[in-house]
Amino acid sequence: MNFKLRVWRQPSEGNEGGFEAHEVSGVDPEASFLEMLDILNEKIVADGGDPIAYDRDCMEGVCGSCSLLIDGIPHGPRQVTSCQTFMRDFPDGAEISVEPFRNSAFPVIRDLVVDRSPLDRIIEAGGYISVTSGPQPEPNTNPVRPEDQEHAMDAAICIGCGACVAACPNGSAMLFTGAKVAHLNSLPQGDPERFDRAHGMVAQHDEEGFGGCTNFGECQAVCPQEISIKVIGELYHDYRQAMLHRLRARRGAVKPQ
Amino acid sequence: MPDHDVLVIGAGLAGQRAALAAAEHGVSVGIISKVHPIRSHSNAAQGGINAALAVDDSWESHAFDTIKGSDYLSDQDAVEIMCREAPNELLHLEHIGVTFHRNEKGELGTRAFGGASHARTYYVADITGQAIMHTLYEQLMKYADLIDRYEEWFTTELALDEDGNCVGAVTRNIKDGSMELFRAKAVILASGGNGQIWHPTTNALICTGDGIAMAYRAGAKLMDMEMIQYHPTTLRGKGFLITEGARGEGAHLLNAKGERFMEKYAPNKMELASRDVVSRAEQTEINEGRGFPDGTVALDITVVPRKRIHEALREIVLVGRDFAGVDITREPIHIKPGNHYTMGGIKTDIWGRTDVKGLYAAGEAACVSVHGGNRLGANSLLDTLIFGRRSGEDAAKHAAGRGIDRVSRTVLEQEERRVQAIIGRERSGRRVSEIKAELGETMDSKVAVFRDEEGIQSALDTVRRLKEEADGAWIDDRGTIFNQDVLGALELQNMLQQAEATCMAALERKESRGAQFRTDYPERNDEEWLKHIDVSLNGDGPELSYSPVTITDWQPQERTY
Repeated sequence: MNFKLRVWRQPSEGNEGGFEAHEVSGVDPEASFLEMLDILNEKIVADGGDPIAYDRDCMEGVCGSCSLLIDGIPHGPRQVTSCQTFMRDFPDGAEISVEPFRNSAFPVIRDLVVDRSPLDRIIEAGGYISVTSGPQPEPNTNPVRPEDQEHAMDAAICIGCGACVAACPNGSAMLFTGAKVAHLNSLPQGDPERFDRAHGMVAQHDEEGFGGCTNFGECQAVCPQEISIKVIGELYHDYRQAMLHRLRARRGAVKPQ
Repeated sequence: MPDHDVLVIGAGLAGQRAALAAAEHGVSVGIISKVHPIRSHSNAAQGGINAALAVDDSWESHAFDTIKGSDYLSDQDAVEIMCREAPNELLHLEHIGVTFHRNEKGELGTRAFGGASHARTYYVADITGQAIMHTLYEQLMKYADLIDRYEEWFTTELALDEDGNCVGAVTRNIKDGSMELFRAKAVILASGGNGQIWHPTTNALICTGDGIAMAYRAGAKLMDMEMIQYHPTTLRGKGFLITEGARGEGAHLLNAKGERFMEKYAPNKMELASRDVVSRAEQTEINEGRGFPDGTVALDITVVPRKRIHEALREIVLVGRDFAGVDITREPIHIKPGNHYTMGGIKTDIWGRTDVKGLYAAGEAACVSVHGGNRLGANSLLDTLIFGRRSGEDAAKHAAGRGIDRVSRTVLEQEERRVQAIIGRERSGRRVSEIKAELGETMDSKVAVFRDEEGIQSALDTVRRLKEEADGAWIDDRGTIFNQDVLGALELQNMLQQAEATCMAALERKESRGAQFRTDYPERNDEEWLKHIDVSLNGDGPELSYSPVTITDWQPQERTY
């Protein structure tokens, strides 16, 4: 198969970037998008240029490294990670644009590689269980309803790739934040800190410069792990409860969390 | 020059667990990883984690299964520790938020796994590694005051003092190409296995065993390097993994005639025999012409109820669909044995201590040895956590009460020169990617499921030639920012050193045990070979020696499944 590509090139964060036009030919339809980029890199290097930098690792959709905006869609047309997007997903001769994930909170490091550390700082603001539980009781003294466990897992499945952020017209990271909060707040061991967690993580989310959620739903449409936008509703619920709890605590009606 | 009490290199499960254990002891920790921690390869562990937690199970039974699985090459004191400490570790994970599967009564549920006499594998669908790793990463955040994270830093070499003690490491910041000398009172290598030496492999591109090679160059012994696991169910070509959980849920293996061939090889455990046994059975079927023309046999998951597949094997449904174009709920999928796991590695004691003072190792990089000749499924996550924690604890104790040593900058300057030399190489000779491809193909054809002297010797000759070629190999990218090519050249040198050690050990072991099956010596020979082969670096080449296998309660027996 043959393709015409427009690839974003940017030597470093401080430098201006721009599109570069390339053509690749003789690509196996079974090649993944990243393998196609390798073929292109071979050609660029043979012509004396610098290869295109991009993130990748496991090549099977579990690590969350790859982060390409393909024809304006995070990871491409099929709601899987970039490494699981295949050239057979495009018509022969197609013109394809390739950019890094776009968000002002994700600075470009080089070419198609972005810095996603703002997501880590959101976790740092409360996305963990802080209690140390001491001697271990028998495991089944506190049963967890299987539906709660499944619910937590449906959120915990997030691989932190940031596609949701890149898809959102507001540049919001609420699907990511909601998934992290829903995972821990659905479990009995996460319950005691639920208000602080929701409040702290949303505050950090805003601090990083991500936008607010206005229910476009683009995030869930591109999430390779198929995380539902419902987690944002749950996050808002917990956030509202947290604000109320703080008000009540200030009046001395309840203990602060 | 950043200083830390304990420096952890690698941030998968073993590294993160070690960092957390050290921080719990109140020391300062630096954790360095060549990728963002949650991209580490522990992610790919699908099936689960073993622990004898059920009332009708016992750690002794878990230990026996592990030892038998290892073909009696594991050190039994280490196995005992791992199996005894497994239940508490599992509960700890549950407490910090890992969403282990719960049955309809709300209790922890298990699945059956290969080589185990009890269903003792706890799991999070087929994303167990990912679920645990993300939760541990959250815990690193909890200790943000004590733990500094260095994400996307590539460690090129360990720093030693004049007495040969490990006192730090030299690292390249991938983002801007700068080199830094980190000083530490103790260093823990948790940098994973070396599957990329083989092609295809189930391992991610980062699994180049850098820590194993660095420890080797620093004077530590490597052990059991000949023991390389071939996983029974991988996709042809790219080597994607189909979890053993599929067989745990009841899937069958069929040859091209539709026969459930495991009846011949392991009549009792069938598909759930040890991995080495199943891989050999499959390869025998393929070699003797009963496989499919593409050199595979079939895994039939359709015998598992559909609802259960979608609940317990959801990642595999996607792998089948995306990479093989097969709906595994409707038709069998073609699979073959493929490179998967490094049983050997840096020789350590039960606290993760290596032969080099101040240097520890844990996880797949290390060889304690709990896996011996063959690792049981769902014991690797356990190994990373138990011995990650133990090495973190011991390193913290070692660091407490010590000062930071003065470290000569010579090693930093030497590493800067080495990297510059790679970047400045002339565009002549062979490319790094070509050499890596030849290495992978050679090892996969000659140091794999079945081996013999002629094949291993020819692989060794090839590896030695590639070592010379690699010294002059050129790279494509000459920049400083995010230059992945220069890392590729450093990784290649690391891989070639390990490949040489593996070939030497495989040649030396003139018997068949666990993953090492010599067609020229097809029997296990306890009299001569119930011992570990250690490899150390002498000058530029490997030197072999032996060390005894620790046996506590379990005398070697004939191994049948």
